Amino acid sequence: MTREHQHTDGTATAASGPRRRTVLLTGLAGAGAGVVTGAGAAVARERATPAPDLRLERARASARPFRGEHQAGILEAPPPYAAFVALDLHAGADRDAVRRLLTVWTDDIERLTAGRGPLTDLEPELAAVPASLTVTVGVGPRVVGLAGAERPSWLAPLPAFPQIDKLLAEWSGGDLLLQICAESPTTVSHAQRRLTAGVADLAAVRWVQRGFREPFEGPGVPMRNLLGQVDGTVQPDVTGLDADLLWVGDDGPAWLRGGSSVVVRRIGMRLDAWDRVDRLSRENAIGRRLDTGAPVTGGRVDTPADLEATDELGFHVVDDAAHLRRAHAAAPHERFLRRPYSYDDGTGPETHVGLVFVAYQADPVRQFVPVQRRLAEMDLLNLWTVPVGSAVFAVLPGARSGEVLGQAMFA
Amino acid sequence: MHQTISATRRVALTTVLAAVALGAGGCGTDTTDTSASGGSGTPSSAALVLDDGWVKSVDAPRMGAPSPAGGMSMPMSAMFGTLRNPTRSDITVTGGSSPVAGTVQLHETVKTASGAMQMQEKKGGFVVPAGGTFVLQPGGNHVMLMELTAALTNGSTVPVTLTTSAGPVTFTVPVRAFSGGNETYNPSPSSS
Repeated sequence: MTREHQHTDGTATAASGPRRRTVLLTGLAGAGAGVVTGAGAAVARERATPAPDLRLERARASARPFRGEHQAGILEAPPPYAAFVALDLHAGADRDAVRRLLTVWTDDIERLTAGRGPLTDLEPELAAVPASLTVTVGVGPRVVGLAGAERPSWLAPLPAFPQIDKLLAEWSGGDLLLQICAESPTTVSHAQRRLTAGVADLAAVRWVQRGFREPFEGPGVPMRNLLGQVDGTVQPDVTGLDADLLWVGDDGPAWLRGGSSVVVRRIGMRLDAWDRVDRLSRENAIGRRLDTGAPVTGGRVDTPADLEATDELGFHVVDDAAHLRRAHAAAPHERFLRRPYSYDDGTGPETHVGLVFVAYQADPVRQFVPVQRRLAEMDLLNLWTVPVGSAVFAVLPGARSGEVLGQAMFA
Repeated sequence: MHQTISATRRVALTTVLAAVALGAGGCGTDTTDTSASGGSGTPSSAALVLDDGWVKSVDAPRMGAPSPAGGMSMPMSAMFGTLRNPTRSDITVTGGSSPVAGTVQLHETVKTASGAMQMQEKKGGFVVPAGGTFVLQPGGNHVMLMELTAALTNGSTVPVTLTTSAGPVTFTVPVRAFSGGNETYNPSPSSS
């Protein structure tokens, strides 16, 4: 893994540095032959060297490693731009088609994340700025079945939540998922185009959900969803004690160890209705302050809420139907890693603005469904949010050196 | 042995040339020399290396389908990539073969007197200079795989052997879907 990364950096440097200089020198030699000689040539060469563009150097150097135990794009802090792309295998696809598709994607993703175009890319300049690109591949039950691998029990559509769901087929399901994330929307778009066009003979795009986060996200500037709420505050310690909440372990199918699952739900926001709500009521609905994201019972954004606290009239300070209370884990395993992105499709139905809710966990039925069930039964936020899409995918383990993504499915 | 390609391809050719100048720094992970290096297989001892090589896929339904021009279909494909010569002597590629193709030819793209771009067989072969490279690309020089005997499926690999002045070199080349390069091929223009 380390070796590939070094190779990646080396390639990027070599492509921008010496080669450009060589071209410049060649041009000089052609133009000034017979005039510039001796020391004069050295001076001219000095002048011709442009000041290094450090901004571009940084963008080019920001290549994330592709190879490893886990796929990239899960543990990293989410970069500001993303596209979630679901594809369906063509009718008649067989085991060999699945294997070939994953072979193409493995090679293409390794090249794209390193800042190189895929083999057939006639515009590799669009790939030259990796911008922390990660591409994460998920598979649905049809792919697992065609490969002949054991299907995890949870790899199926989530149970219905009839109280809230207004699911549309155009935002739900799919045989394959690409989660494409980067710090540049151009990088995301190019990767999406090449990865879908490169397998167009094998699979067709079913839906695309583009998302964005706060590009200036950092200390003091949290991720806010388009209801203005600080989002994704409570996360399990997935690089430490809670790692088994994220990665499929020995109790899962062997081919999926080191993999995970992802739930992608498209949550429309009824902003016209939200606009009519005063600020205190908004904070009451979620159970958190809008400014700091801290619980309404006080403290900071990461302070646990005091769910028992009551006001002078004896009512709970955190409303009995507040999102925070209803989403609170009733057991330690009811937690998952959230990686949400906002979306704004400009115009269209009321749900053209909202949140691409993205949750990674080892077992969505055990970890996510109990929480979602409580929220469906009662959550003040349901007055302003409408789930219009839902999909579940098995997230393949990482490809180590020489491996193809998902190759253990074919073992 | 002439083929006419459209004006849009000429634009594409310019783009490709610019791209190659920028991005040819990839390493040859996909293809390996297997026969001309004396079995060592390491890049330094290989007579000829193919970097970022690929062959355009041809789906089964296109095999034997009537050609747009109404003549007999000639299922064909092409190999692209960058031939690299790490040795101290020029290497001339004079021809080739592949188990999936009845005929393998070396093609170049030239501008005719009328300004159209045409593909034709390259007389004298491809010369890969000592320590240098020779680029095979859509709209430029390429290795034609003709009279295909089987579909070339996206994501598979095909063996292609080049006959060179340093001996035969066999590459295992990835097959990739590519929507460009769809010029029809008429071995005898007058027959249509």
